[in-house]
Amino acid sequence: MTNNYTKKHEYPGLLIVIEGTDGSGKSTQINKLKDWLAVESYGAMVSEWKTSALISGAIDQAKEKNLLNANTFSLLYASDFTDRLEKNIIPALKAGLIVLMDRYTYTAYARDVVRGVKPGWVRNLYNFAPTPDIVFYLDMPVKALMKRIIATTGLDYYESGRDIGLSTDFYKSFKIYQARILEEYSKMAHEFNFITIDGNLTINTIHNQIKERVKELINSGAIK
Amino acid sequence: MRLNQNHDLPGTLIVVEGIDGSGKSTQLAILRDWLQNIGQDVIFTEWNSSKLISQTTKRAKKKNMLSPRTFSLLHAVDFADRLEQVIVPALKAGFIVLSDRYAFTAFARDVARGVQPEWVRNTYGFAIKPDLSMYFSVPVEVSLERICSNRQPKFYESGMDLNLNPDPYESYKIFQNRVIEEYDKMVDEYNLIKIDATNTVHEQQVIFRDIVRKKLEEKGCSI
Repeated sequence: MTNNYTKKHEYPGLLIVIEGTDGSGKSTQINKLKDWLAVESYGAMVSEWKTSALISGAIDQAKEKNLLNANTFSLLYASDFTDRLEKNIIPALKAGLIVLMDRYTYTAYARDVVRGVKPGWVRNLYNFAPTPDIVFYLDMPVKALMKRIIATTGLDYYESGRDIGLSTDFYKSFKIYQARILEEYSKMAHEFNFITIDGNLTINTIHNQIKERVKELINSGAIK
Repeated sequence: MRLNQNHDLPGTLIVVEGIDGSGKSTQLAILRDWLQNIGQDVIFTEWNSSKLISQTTKRAKKKNMLSPRTFSLLHAVDFADRLEQVIVPALKAGFIVLSDRYAFTAFARDVARGVQPEWVRNTYGFAIKPDLSMYFSVPVEVSLERICSNRQPKFYESGMDLNLNPDPYESYKIFQNRVIEEYDKMVDEYNLIKIDATNTVHEQQVIFRDIVRKKLEEKGCSI
């Protein structure tokens, strides 16, 4: 099967991904990076997980009813991703913009595999996705994550992996689920050359680390 | 992949395939009536009919919002949902499941749209292998005559998204001929049983019934 993961994309723009579990601080970092890029006069665009015009509404509805099995769950998110990829991300990359991705295919590889789909299947499902120029992974231990999530959004049915029947106790279920997700991410860190950053560092320290890497990338002439 | 292995569920999965206007739905309806009349437990399911997503897909089609790949994925969502909610439970409970179109429809149409054959086969890799797959084969002219006696071919069914020809009738012929080509390739790959759908409804049903009867006997279900 053809797999794009062995070669970088050939678009003039830059594809920068930030990955991590819920509550790892991805969105905060994306926003800071975007602001900095604007100051430096680079055109940047953000694309977030599950925001396509085509299908994000249907995903929310289905999740409300808690009626998704693993394959359906996976395919719905792949539809969302593909719609954004074709309508927003690739056109922006072609136009030479810097595209900042809040989650990318790796999120699916982690979540869907934890839900029981085969790692090879879901990687093939996304094999048409361009390989990012750089992937940052915000690594957070489960304990710290739990506190952040409980303090902000609260425990959600799917984020707690309740759909896979790990435990009827929300807290316990969340803990087991997120630990499994973290395990998948750490396996991928090597597989896909993630730049792993300690999510416990301060917001500014993380931002500076990301900024340095992006600066290097831009200075290396990655934007064509 | 599950699609390539025989299932060991007590039920029987019978699918009909073919382009629009091949008469497959008519054949399946007659078969269903017969099976019910002789006291068999039958469940029927059809392409793009899940509560979860079929309305979204229909809306997106009306607005011509779909690329070949999103077209493929939305139909896969629909299929996955029906497979887990309808088909698999019914097979576990010992029903005869009659499916109007199955994964092969995606393999034919999506590849005709330019999606890679391996990719779409992987996407549907979780599908259960049918006990019987009937392919109702009909030339494109007959299909066009049957479905367009009172309307124009629709945008996606005529492959207008591929810019093959500005005339929907011409485009339909080019696109559906590609679909037919893909079906013909699958006859060997997936053991599709090809039936000449230009024969009379009765002639086809007699052949269809005979094949179904043999399959059910083979599975230890005397009728």
